[in-house]
Parts: sequence; structure tokens; C-alpha cells
Amino acid sequence: MNVAQQAINGLVIGSGYACVALGWTILLGAARLVNFAHGQMYMLAAFICWFILTRSGIGYPLAAAISIVAMALLGVGMQLMMGRLVMTQNLTSLMIVTLGFGYILQGVAGLLFGGAPHTITTELVQQKIQFGDVWFTSQELLIFVVTLILYGVVWLVLQRTRQGAIIRSVAEDPKLAQLFGIDSRSVYIAIFVLEAVLVALAAVLVAPRTPILTSMGFEEVIITFVIVVLGGIGNVGGALIVGMLLGLFTSFFGALVTPAYTTAAIFAVLLAFLIAKPEGLRTR
Amino acid sequence: MTEVLSARSLTVRYGGNTAVHDVDLGIGAGRMVAVAGANGAGKSTLVNALAGWSRGYPVVSGDVLLDGQNISRLPPHQRSRGGLQHVPEGKNVFSELTVEENLALVRLGEDHVGRFLFSRSEVIDLFPRLHERRHHKGSALSGGERQMLAMARALLAGPRILLLDEPSVGLAPRLIGEVLAVVRSLVDRGLPVLVVDQNVRAVLEFADELYLLERGRIVGHGSAASMKNDDRILKAYLGDLAVKGDLQ
Repeated sequence: MNVAQQAINGLVIGSGYACVALGWTILLGAARLVNFAHGQMYMLAAFICWFILTRSGIGYPLAAAISIVAMALLGVGMQLMMGRLVMTQNLTSLMIVTLGFGYILQGVAGLLFGGAPHTITTELVQQKIQFGDVWFTSQELLIFVVTLILYGVVWLVLQRTRQGAIIRSVAEDPKLAQLFGIDSRSVYIAIFVLEAVLVALAAVLVAPRTPILTSMGFEEVIITFVIVVLGGIGNVGGALIVGMLLGLFTSFFGALVTPAYTTAAIFAVLLAFLIAKPEGLRTR
Repeated sequence: MTEVLSARSLTVRYGGNTAVHDVDLGIGAGRMVAVAGANGAGKSTLVNALAGWSRGYPVVSGDVLLDGQNISRLPPHQRSRGGLQHVPEGKNVFSELTVEENLALVRLGEDHVGRFLFSRSEVIDLFPRLHERRHHKGSALSGGERQMLAMARALLAGPRILLLDEPSVGLAPRLIGEVLAVVRSLVDRGLPVLVVDQNVRAVLEFADELYLLERGRIVGHGSAASMKNDDRILKAYLGDLAVKGDLQ
């Protein structure tokens, strides 16, 4: 086994996991909301990008940008529909509503795009970067770098800016925030839009690495959930670390044992970790 | 006298229950007005309705006027930005944010006319403890410190009027007098204040006027001096000694 290559693969997989999880980290961690349609939004963003690339002939960056804008609009629509549930932070109802919304997205995507696998082709996926017997693609390097930058920016905004304090105040008590002159409903719309934009960005970056299917999404939600919970709800840095560690675990488990049971193994790790440390990596 | 804040036929219903019935009241410039009443009389519901704020979903009818402008249809954050500063009972600061972050959330509205502007240093002079605790989270503050932080936040927002719901709840007796004395000093600078408090004895020492609320209705109103001698106030809030002339 080429350990260095497995480590690179693990970091690539991990940065993909972390990138997909970032929107949920903000939603659940910072705003105390859930969106179980997250995986299907990832799928839809990937398909919108693929559809534009294959049908219009415009380039990958513009197709990705259009997909991100489309998902931002979807985020606004979802938030407007769920406004009252969100204001009361009714997580049980939000879970059911967003699960249902995810299935609707999956059904609509199936009708529009069919059930066959497709591939988002970009030049970056074809470009190999080789160091000795270790290699990765430019697309994978892009995912890794963008993920680190996004996590850094999100952490800085949440912890060091007034806007971040506003998000944290609305997460803690949206009603009380109103008395501080904060329009909590608009803040929630902004958070949902941010989540949708981040999941779309993750989709257009990560999805070109593998074939896309309209039936995908469930695994992304599960992995995302594991990352957010293990990282410690509210801990952006913890989510990044757990994403990377899960990627390394996936890579080495696949190489040393079998890729077939990776998801089951991830959940075994989740169970063991949460029994030992129920609060996750969160230390504050 | 010009009323800074007034309510006309204000009624608040929760489901089939009416918590506040057809209330008319007014708070003039430079006045400290108290609302007294037993538990469940509707005091907090009334003051929340003035701020357009509630943790539930009440149905509110009637009019609320701020400096003559009807604000009945404005949501609470717009009333707050407009200078109606409400400090509710119970949780009134963010426990996961530091003192500094709680205060930094406040932004002064662009329209400064009619507002009472307080600089950061003025507010810290009023509540010096907050400066010492500025890096502590709200959850680490005592009840008195949280009350001070909530009031400091309201003052930094440039109030036209301050609504205080039970500012003395949970405070040590020594602190109750201190907090109310600070409120009185603000009133003496011209800031109108509406205060709801169970501690009628303490409030009457500082207030100019008092409204008596029973089962959601205003049943008495007068100057603090005259209301000290109102039989209902004497019997319900000031105890037997007061009835015998202890307070007069």
C-alpha cells in the first residue's frame, strides 16, 4: 500500500466531505436549524451544473455560478415556506418538512434528468499533478484549497464580526434579537441562502470527481450529519477536522479492509466517539 | 403634556382568552410611569404589546403611538430601531455572547431627533461593573449584571422611551434600590420610562405616576403620591403597616 497516496486520497475525500458539510455546520451549528434536504440540494446543484454544461456549451465556471444562484433562490423559497417553524426553532417539524422537501427535489430531478448516471466534465479533472509516486488532480487541489479558505472565512465571520454575532444571537434567541433591532426573519433567510450557496459550491467542486445520479444525496446527508455532530455542534473548526479525519479513515479503511463497509464503519466510529465524548470535539 | 408613548383601546388575546382589555394609557416626556398589578393581571402582556413583541402569537388590536406616529403595524425590530426600547422580564441578554458582543449588536438609528443619546462611556459610568465583565459571556453574569447589561443595551440604542418589565426580579434588596435610582436619574435627564414591577413599594418611591391593572383592565391611575394612599394599593401591595399610616 502506498501510504502517502492513501493519505492524499484521504485528505481529498475529507476536504470534499468538509466542503459539503460546511453549509450544514452553519445551519445546525450556528443557527440551530436542520435541513435534511441538504443532500438532495447537493444533487440538484450538480445536475443543474451538468445540464447547463452539456446543453448550452458555456464554460464550467459560468455553469457553476448559475447553479449556485439557482440554489440561492431555492434557499430563499424554502425559508419563506418555513418561516414560522424557523422562528420558533421547531426542529422536529423542520426535520419532517425538509425530509419531505428533499424527496420532492429528488422526484422532480428524476423527472427532469432521468435515472442514468452523468459526468460533469471539467479540464481540471483531467489535469494530473504528480510528485514522485503520489498524484492528485487540479480539481482535487482546488477542492482542498477552497475548503480551507471557506472554513477560515466562515470562522472569522462568525467569531470576529458583528454579522457573525448577529447570526449567533438569532440562533440563541430569535425573539430576543428583535428587541436589539435585528430582523430575525431576514437573518434566517440569509442563513438559508448561505447554506444553499455553500452546498451548491460544494456540489460543483466535488461532483465532477464521480458520476452523478438523481438518486444520490442520502449518503451526503448522513456523512454531513456525522461531521457536524462529531465536530461538536457550533464548532466550525471541529467540523473541518472531523471531515478530514473521516476522509483519511475512509481512504485507509478502504485500502486495508474493504470499501464496501466504509459507511457502516464510519457509524461505528460515530457511536464509539459519542459514547466516550457526547459533546463531540467542542471544548468551549 | 405631550405623550411620547400612548396606547388607545389596546386589547390582547391569546386564543379565546383576553389578557388585556381595552387599555388606554400615556407616558409623557420626562415621566416615570409604573404599572402595578397582581400576578396574571396582564402587566407583562401589556408592556410586550406596546413593544409589539411576544414569545407567543397573540392577537393585538388597538393603537400604539410613538411621538404621535402610529406604530401598531410595525414589527418589534422596527419599533426598537425607532427608539422604543423594551427590556423584557427573564431572559433579556444573550447568554452565549460576551458583554462586549451583546453591546456591539446595538446600532443607533439614523433619525436622531427626539432620541436620548448615550455614549459608551456614559453607559459604562452608569454600570461600571459591565466594563469589568466585558469579556464574560452573558451566562456567567449574575442576575443584577444581566439586568444592567440589558438596560445598557437599551440606552446605547438611543431610546425615545424605555420599557422595563420587572427590573427588580431576582435582585438583592440593596441592588433593587440602586437599579431604580439609575432609572430615576435617566428620567431626570428627560427620558420617559414605563416600568412594570411586582415590588410596588420600591417603585412608588421613584415613579411619578402609577396605573393599577386588574385582570387586564386599568382600574386606577394617578400620581405616585396619590396612589400611595389608594386603598387597593395599600391592602394589596403595601401591607397592614401601611394601612395603619406607616407610609403616610
